[in-house]
Amino acid sequence: MASSSDSSTPRGEAWVWFSGLGLIIGLGMVVGLISLVILNGVTVFWAPQVPVATVDDGRTIIGQLAQRRIRAGSLASEPRYELQFQVGLRELNGNSYVWVDEAKIKSESFPPDILGLERVENGPAFVRPQSLRKSDGKLIPVTDPAFEDAFQVEVAAATNIREKLVEITRHRIGDVNSEMDKARVALRRAEDLKLAAEVAALRRQIGGLEERFASLQAEARAVVDRGAVASLVSRDASGREVVVPLTQVIRAWFPNRLDTWGRIKLFISRLGEFVFDEPREANTEGGLMPAIFGTLVMTVFMSLMVTPFGVITAIYLREYAQQGSVLRIVRISVNNLAGVPSIVFGVFGLGFFVYVLGGSIDRFFFADQLKYNNNTPVFGTGGLLWCSLTLALMTLPVVIVATEEALAAVPRGMREASLATGASKWQTIRDILLPASAPGILTGVILAMARGAGEVAPLMLVGVVKLAPTLPLDGAAPFLHMDRKFMHLGFHVYDLGFQSPDSDAARPMVFATTLLLICLVVCLNIGAIWIRNRLRARFKGASF
Amino acid sequence: METSDKNPSAAPAPESRFTVSPMTLAADRWMGRLIRFGGVGVVLAVFGMLAFLIFQVFPLFTGAKVAAGDALSVAANAIAFGEDEYGDLPYVVLADGRVIFQRSKDGLKVLEWSPALANRHVSTVRSYPRSGLVFLGLSDGSVQELRIIYRSSFDSAGKRTIEPIVTALEPLQVGKPGLPCVDIWNAKGTQSRLMLVRQDEVGKPLLTAIRLTERKGLGGKAKVTVSAPFVVAADAASVDKVLLPSTAESLIVVSKSGEVRTYADDGTTFPFLQSFTPFKESTDAGVTSAGMIFGNVSVVFVGRTGAQQVWSMYPQLQPDGKSLRRWGKIHDGESLAGPGEGVYAAEGNKCYLAVAGGKLQLRNMTTGSLRWEGDAPSGAIRQLAFAANYDRFTALSADGKLHRWSIVDHHPESSWGAFFGKIWYEGATGPAYTWQSSAGSDEFEAKYSLVPLFYGTVKGTFYALLFALPIALTAAIYVSQFLRPEYRQVVKPVMEIMASLPSVVLGFLAGLWLAPLVDPRLISIFCAVGILAPAALAAGFLWSVLPQPIRRQVKPGMEFLWLLPFLAICALVAWKSGPAVEAAFFTVKDASSGLPIADFREWWRQTTGATYDSRNSLVVGFVMGFAVIPIVFTIAEDALSNVPNSLVSGSLALGASRWQTVWSVVVPTAISGIVSGVMIGFGRAIGETMIVVMATGNTAVMESNPFSGMRTLSANIAVELPEAASGHTHYRALFLGACCLFLLTFVINTLAEVLRQRLRERYKVV
Repeated sequence: MASSSDSSTPRGEAWVWFSGLGLIIGLGMVVGLISLVILNGVTVFWAPQVPVATVDDGRTIIGQLAQRRIRAGSLASEPRYELQFQVGLRELNGNSYVWVDEAKIKSESFPPDILGLERVENGPAFVRPQSLRKSDGKLIPVTDPAFEDAFQVEVAAATNIREKLVEITRHRIGDVNSEMDKARVALRRAEDLKLAAEVAALRRQIGGLEERFASLQAEARAVVDRGAVASLVSRDASGREVVVPLTQVIRAWFPNRLDTWGRIKLFISRLGEFVFDEPREANTEGGLMPAIFGTLVMTVFMSLMVTPFGVITAIYLREYAQQGSVLRIVRISVNNLAGVPSIVFGVFGLGFFVYVLGGSIDRFFFADQLKYNNNTPVFGTGGLLWCSLTLALMTLPVVIVATEEALAAVPRGMREASLATGASKWQTIRDILLPASAPGILTGVILAMARGAGEVAPLMLVGVVKLAPTLPLDGAAPFLHMDRKFMHLGFHVYDLGFQSPDSDAARPMVFATTLLLICLVVCLNIGAIWIRNRLRARFKGASF
Repeated sequence: METSDKNPSAAPAPESRFTVSPMTLAADRWMGRLIRFGGVGVVLAVFGMLAFLIFQVFPLFTGAKVAAGDALSVAANAIAFGEDEYGDLPYVVLADGRVIFQRSKDGLKVLEWSPALANRHVSTVRSYPRSGLVFLGLSDGSVQELRIIYRSSFDSAGKRTIEPIVTALEPLQVGKPGLPCVDIWNAKGTQSRLMLVRQDEVGKPLLTAIRLTERKGLGGKAKVTVSAPFVVAADAASVDKVLLPSTAESLIVVSKSGEVRTYADDGTTFPFLQSFTPFKESTDAGVTSAGMIFGNVSVVFVGRTGAQQVWSMYPQLQPDGKSLRRWGKIHDGESLAGPGEGVYAAEGNKCYLAVAGGKLQLRNMTTGSLRWEGDAPSGAIRQLAFAANYDRFTALSADGKLHRWSIVDHHPESSWGAFFGKIWYEGATGPAYTWQSSAGSDEFEAKYSLVPLFYGTVKGTFYALLFALPIALTAAIYVSQFLRPEYRQVVKPVMEIMASLPSVVLGFLAGLWLAPLVDPRLISIFCAVGILAPAALAAGFLWSVLPQPIRRQVKPGMEFLWLLPFLAICALVAWKSGPAVEAAFFTVKDASSGLPIADFREWWRQTTGATYDSRNSLVVGFVMGFAVIPIVFTIAEDALSNVPNSLVSGSLALGASRWQTVWSVVVPTAISGIVSGVMIGFGRAIGETMIVVMATGNTAVMESNPFSGMRTLSANIAVELPEAASGHTHYRALFLGACCLFLLTFVINTLAEVLRQRLRERYKVV
């Protein structure tokens, strides 16, 4: 390894350099990929300047630049590029995005009066505002200096109304609906079993729920009626008038007027929405909260299941089982299970957990539910429990191997000293071995979590969905719903990237989700590596 | 137990000071049991997983279970039969046209219906049990149609009773007046219904048909128009058997000499289409029985020797260069025990029952496999019919018995051949390995060959390894042998992070970002990548010929940092020259404009005739590299850096250069560890799912073309299992794929593990 110090040329030096190439490419791949994801993910939330572009064919486009690519059919020697602009206003244009030949753009300007709007429906809009029709009917033209303040006030008021409506329609009416569904199933059962008293009680309950439903609807209507909605009158690029009711507006900004601080504020606000809000518009807008939450809950459950079993198995293999060729085979098999493709675990999860276990649970404990709810399975279909179990099985070898290694790394002297002082085997394990190997076990569990959080293929089979109406953990008894399907970041990437009807609109969201997922997984891994390095340092110092 | 060992003062007696508390012992015992139980349980669960997968696959390789039920005695002159959906109340049609309904459980006669035919009599009978139609051929060449309906009613206790109703329609004159009908066929096409009658004129059979077109009138009442009778297949020398597909779109006539003539419906008559003789080579070309398989595309012929052949319609190249659907032989079946006495097709799948030499054989047409074999009833079989859901079949024998068999056969289309063999499917032009699990219609022949999936798996793995191995192994050599230790502290975690990148992210980037990006710049990328290796070698060579003082500038273990800018410049130059290279070597004539264009994709298509997909094997191979490189790198690097230092020092001390040491001492010593790493990388690439799902077109083709996609075993499962119905053949076929994946990766990883252990032993010796 040492360098040759003589003056003659050492042989084969060229190959040393050649082998350096592998390292460069490998590192380049990691760094390139991660920076690509970070760059694309972060720019999703950044508001760039929005140009007004005039094209050769007479069109005028107001839109945010989304992509630049080589035109199909153009030659590699003289590539021609085309630009994709997000122009928004899907209800008028049919599509939020347009492709324009770069060479055909005559002029580009950045007038300060362009307004970007994020809307509840039909995606964003880039318009030139004309006037504001306030809720009291007054018109304020954009030239009026009071326009901007009035606009902000009205947007805030409209947001207030919209949130109230969401609260009523989605949450309170949703609760009533789910209660109603339950009552209806119970009613069907009671009617079938001819329980007169129960039938009457349930009918009353359903009657009460229907009343509540009606009153909530009335309340929602009242909210809409009371707040006479302000609206923004503006023109689009081709001069058509666009009237946007402000209840539709989630966020409004002047992209060509914002200073850096304003852009940062907008960035933070969008990032906040992304992390804490629910998705809108077929997952292409809004936030990811259910997917983040689902991923976390599933991962935590998986680790709760995998840790005890993995640790117990490792203790058994290392401390209790008779060492011999049988154990060697068992150990090799367990290790090799880590190399079995994850999709195989998914297949097993579907076949065994969902159909065999879940099906039996349904037959024994939810027979009524099956009978009176159109054979809708409870546990006999994919869900949180089966996902966690499947991934727990998949990551079991990771924890077993890590724990075994950690146990093996505990110096012999410690174990012998403990036994020599009269501690029983279990006491030795509990008080000496486990504490000493805890960081190693933790490393294994974190690695298992990282693998579980990033895995998608098996989850597709056992219970992840693209849009779950409810969270697996909520305020309704029994709080934790192991039978519910849930959303998952990794599956979100797959679904948005490949199943989304509007792939252009989904693209920024996929990059943002990818960034989030990579952050999660890489952080977990770095955590594991850090703990492991500390552990090594600790045992280096151990003086046994 | 806490108190017993931490609070000795509470037990002052000297003898009890040294006795162990029972709590401690109990805790030790119980925890020991718990750990043993848990440990053994988990280990068993792990093996149980494989057992479960095999258990799920096992039913695919079992035959059909067929059990003969009690025979029902019916009138001895019964010549046709039919039954209700559950087979509770079958009926037989006697030679004189009477229809008798008998309860199947006790033979009680429930209803007897007699035709009122004045001065005519019944000369032949045909019954279509599944549609409840009975046709009575009369002595004057006319046909009377009977419609049999079962009306079920439930009494207050929920018990079902069924009541048969026979409706007789007015007889229709189909055949030549005055001649008795010899046989009748009926089939419902898309436009009209065809009724076909065979009569025997002096010495020559006569086939006459009519069309019945039904139109819904204004009042919802159907109005039936009956066409004038027309003669079909008049050119047939003799008529031994007639096969009329249930869609009535063609007609197949088998002559006594074994010649088969086919006719196709052209809307008015049935013009001649094609003739062939299945057993031409045989000494006796006679066809003893023939049966149309469900789907109306294939016919099974059985010859006098018991030889079986399957003929089917598929596109064939005609002498004039056109490709037309014509009949051709697609299978040579196993020979039966004797001349065929009947071929009866099952409903809903491609199975058929062949009667020969006193045996009944249930066979699958597609795979040719024997599903079941049993004894035929003693009397000759007059009619045999399968139930619509393939759970039983019923036969009427000449000795006046109605025999019934129940079938349990969940996977009629499966066999070893179906999964691994080359099969000539219906409509295909030759035998092929095909995976196509679903299609629009019920008559579809499911194709479950796993071979294209294995092919795709191997192809994906090959390209992944082709890309990953050189990088991973050279990086492992450099990092373990040359790199400065302080850099190693950084490089290894970075590689571990690479291993942890979720494959869904890699797949997304490959499919949505990389593939469209690479597409127009392919040659530039090839140039840039291709220049790297020579450039690195050249850099090394340049450095080694430089004078000593300059060489000293590059510290050992830092070469890669110096290499970086040099390579970047080389790659940039190569990248820029890509379009020129493309123009020089890959210029083709554009199909639309006729102008020469430099486009590699078009060049590839025109030169090789193969496809070019933007989501192709090279993209998959590159991105799978992210998954494979870190695994191979980590294991190989471990193996290399664990080579005992004494060996390295010895080699260097003998005057070998550092590269000579690595190449002739370190690598050979660590080779089993390196191979083990390669194998584990191989295992990872085999099982990789999301990257392949997202970065290929997922078409199950068998092409070695690097610019086309593929479908791997794992991707196939991910794509299709969510839609497969539990317990069906498709579901189990996917489980079979999973089982293969499991075993494949398990075996590879075990071999790798064994290799690694051997390496460890070797290091111990050293």
